[in-house]
Amino acid sequence: MSLIRALQPSLISPQIRLISSTCVLNKNQSGRYKVTPKKDRPLTYEQSNPPHQIGHRKAWNSWNVANLKKEKPGVHQREPQMITEDFFIRKFMTATFHGIVCSEVIIKRQFNLIRVAFIMSRQLPPRKMYFLIGYTEELLSYWLQCPVTLEINTVADKRDVIYKYI
Amino acid sequence: MHNIRRSFTRLPFIRKQTTWNCKTFATTSSSSSSDNEEIKIPNRIKRSPTDLLKALSQTVGYDPTAPHYKFHDDPFLIPTSNIAKRTFALAQESGRKSAKWIRQENWKLFQHTEMDPPIEAFVPTKIYTEESEVEVKDLESLIAAADVTDAALVYQLLQKNKIEIPAEVMQSFFELICFFNNEEQLDEDLVEERWFRMSAKLNERPRKTWKDYDLAEQIFSEIDPKDSKAYSTIIRGMCKYYQAEKAYAFFNEALANNIALDVETFNSILSVVSFLREGYEARWDLMRELLITMKSANLNPNQGTLNSCLSSITTMGGRTSRDNALKILGEFKRIGIQPSLASWYYILQIFCRERGPVSHVLIDIMNEIEGKEFEIKDLKDCHFFVTAMDVCRNHLHDKNLAKRVDALLHHGDNYNLIGDSYKESVYYRNFFLLLLSTEPFEIFMDTYHYLVPNVYIPEPVVMEEILKSIEVSGSIETIPLIWSHMILFDHTTRENLLNMITKIMIENKPNPSLPRQENLVQSFGDIAYDIWKKIEEKNEMRTKQMIWTARLLSDILTLICRIEDFEKATEIFDKIIGSQDEILGDAEITSMQNYVQVCILKKQPEKAVQCLQFCTEIGFPESKDMAKTICSGFTLDENLLKKVAYLAGEDVLNDNIIS
Repeated sequence: MSLIRALQPSLISPQIRLISSTCVLNKNQSGRYKVTPKKDRPLTYEQSNPPHQIGHRKAWNSWNVANLKKEKPGVHQREPQMITEDFFIRKFMTATFHGIVCSEVIIKRQFNLIRVAFIMSRQLPPRKMYFLIGYTEELLSYWLQCPVTLEINTVADKRDVIYKYI
Repeated sequence: MHNIRRSFTRLPFIRKQTTWNCKTFATTSSSSSSDNEEIKIPNRIKRSPTDLLKALSQTVGYDPTAPHYKFHDDPFLIPTSNIAKRTFALAQESGRKSAKWIRQENWKLFQHTEMDPPIEAFVPTKIYTEESEVEVKDLESLIAAADVTDAALVYQLLQKNKIEIPAEVMQSFFELICFFNNEEQLDEDLVEERWFRMSAKLNERPRKTWKDYDLAEQIFSEIDPKDSKAYSTIIRGMCKYYQAEKAYAFFNEALANNIALDVETFNSILSVVSFLREGYEARWDLMRELLITMKSANLNPNQGTLNSCLSSITTMGGRTSRDNALKILGEFKRIGIQPSLASWYYILQIFCRERGPVSHVLIDIMNEIEGKEFEIKDLKDCHFFVTAMDVCRNHLHDKNLAKRVDALLHHGDNYNLIGDSYKESVYYRNFFLLLLSTEPFEIFMDTYHYLVPNVYIPEPVVMEEILKSIEVSGSIETIPLIWSHMILFDHTTRENLLNMITKIMIENKPNPSLPRQENLVQSFGDIAYDIWKKIEEKNEMRTKQMIWTARLLSDILTLICRIEDFEKATEIFDKIIGSQDEILGDAEITSMQNYVQVCILKKQPEKAVQCLQFCTEIGFPESKDMAKTICSGFTLDENLLKKVAYLAGEDVLNDNIIS
């Protein structure tokens, strides 16, 4: 509300400038977690490091060459497409391996190969995991029309991936 | 920091120096060679699209310490038993199949094109129904994809709509139907299903599976005029599925009508000779006759001819079969036809019969083929290695030869010719059993460590033999390792193995003064307790229970008594006296005596007297001695003394007091 009120006079008459005394709204908050009063919010190592630590303490979640800084936009520019695809892959993973994905889903692209890596908890028997792995690899490769491989690590307990509580 | 700066300042100088060196090198080399030598650019070598990948894969060796790459490299997902290997691989493939099914069901959603160039494998295949509009092109593409059912359907639709099919398309459709006997095939990319499919028993006699009066014969009757291609196709199809009589009739019909048949058709007739004639002589005569016909038709025989002849000779017993096989082999060698592994497989079958005389032909074969790389030429090539190992073990009993066969198998890409999982396990079973019976146990264990568990997991039969040879060689220090492997491989439900391992542990009491056997007493006790726990857990969970034998229980009790662990021993003792009706047989007195000793050591008179009571109830003659040991080991209170006196008689107490 305060923002609209602050803007309104300026729209009416451009000569008047007002000072806003509310706190700034364009605060950086994506990828950052708030401290809870009881300090019991579990965070993985990945989550506990804010985005400005990428490249220092943690790495990227999507590895491809379409999002490099000086990549020239051309006819075959695939960056927007890749972002939606990555989004799709992440949704697909958390839904297929429901409730057992306990890390970020890392998507690495090399040539036409997509490698998807994440950590799972051992709640399913390995037989069922293999079924889901085969299913995911095949269906994703039909959808994205390139070979997809999963690189999975498992942890005995979900708490094994927790780095700290805030 | 200082160092770095210094090295930076130096850098240009180094660079200068190196360029100068290069220059001098270039001038000297050019002055010496420019006079007479011309640079020859070699011709471009044509490479296939996968050559680079093959070259790369050659740089990676074979690693038996890692699980097969089809399994995910994670401790939880690595299979440890034969059954797990099978289920995991097949579960993954079943996931693939269901993904494919989903794609086919929702084919409308999968019509986007991301890829460039398009790859057919990623898009859903076309679905044909009775109402589909079809063209000849559809049939052509289905034939190319070897989709038998859909091709047959499209063919019928084309006929219904009275669309003319060109002769060459018709011929290739006919070939497809004959080759696959009008049956749907297992998809080519289902590697695991192919690998684990129970293959036909190795030496099973084939039987007729050709579909009589089916589409193939119907098409054949419609073809007019019947040319050599049509005849060849139907004959070869019938021979492939052992419809020998009809095939031979068509064959004679073609010959009578002066229709030229090709070599492959002759080969397939040669391979079913045993179905056409009874008696060894008659079969041999027919083979000769066919070969002579081939010669008069000016056809050059090939490797297939050799293999078909040899495969027919395997069905002929008698002394002449060996001579005939050698004759054939020699003749083909003279005209420069190399035998494939399948030929050698047939030779082994002919020479090394189960009840026949011993033949050393495998040694000659190995001298011939050792160090060579093979590619698949014949379907039966995959039978060679498993048969050769079988011959090594059961026929010749020769470990050196077995090692040579194994070396050949691991040479180059020869491992591709192992066949399927069944053949592979038979191969290694024979290899292991042979080594066990011929090698010293320690040397056998080297092979064991090399191949187990990633390449091969021993079956219970092999495990039994391993335990036997541990017993014979007395190398009991391997028992803990073997036991942990038995748990991994899921052998703990096998009663004979459990009995055997406890027997070995009982009879070979470890000697703690030897450095190798220092901790063995403890680990034997732990193993015994482990066995007890495993069986009890299983009995609680399963409907099919394992019945305890008193012998096994007493052995376990003895082993635990050796480590003087009173709590664990009491657990087992309680089982022995508590559920006598569930246990087969009577407990052994030695284990009871051991238990009493532990009771004395841990000062538990009540249990010792309970044990005495149990022994007197069964009526062991040794119970008197036991009573004496109890009396001398403890200072018993009034009640217990009375009980001992009641159980073993007053004189026991008196003896003790006197002594």
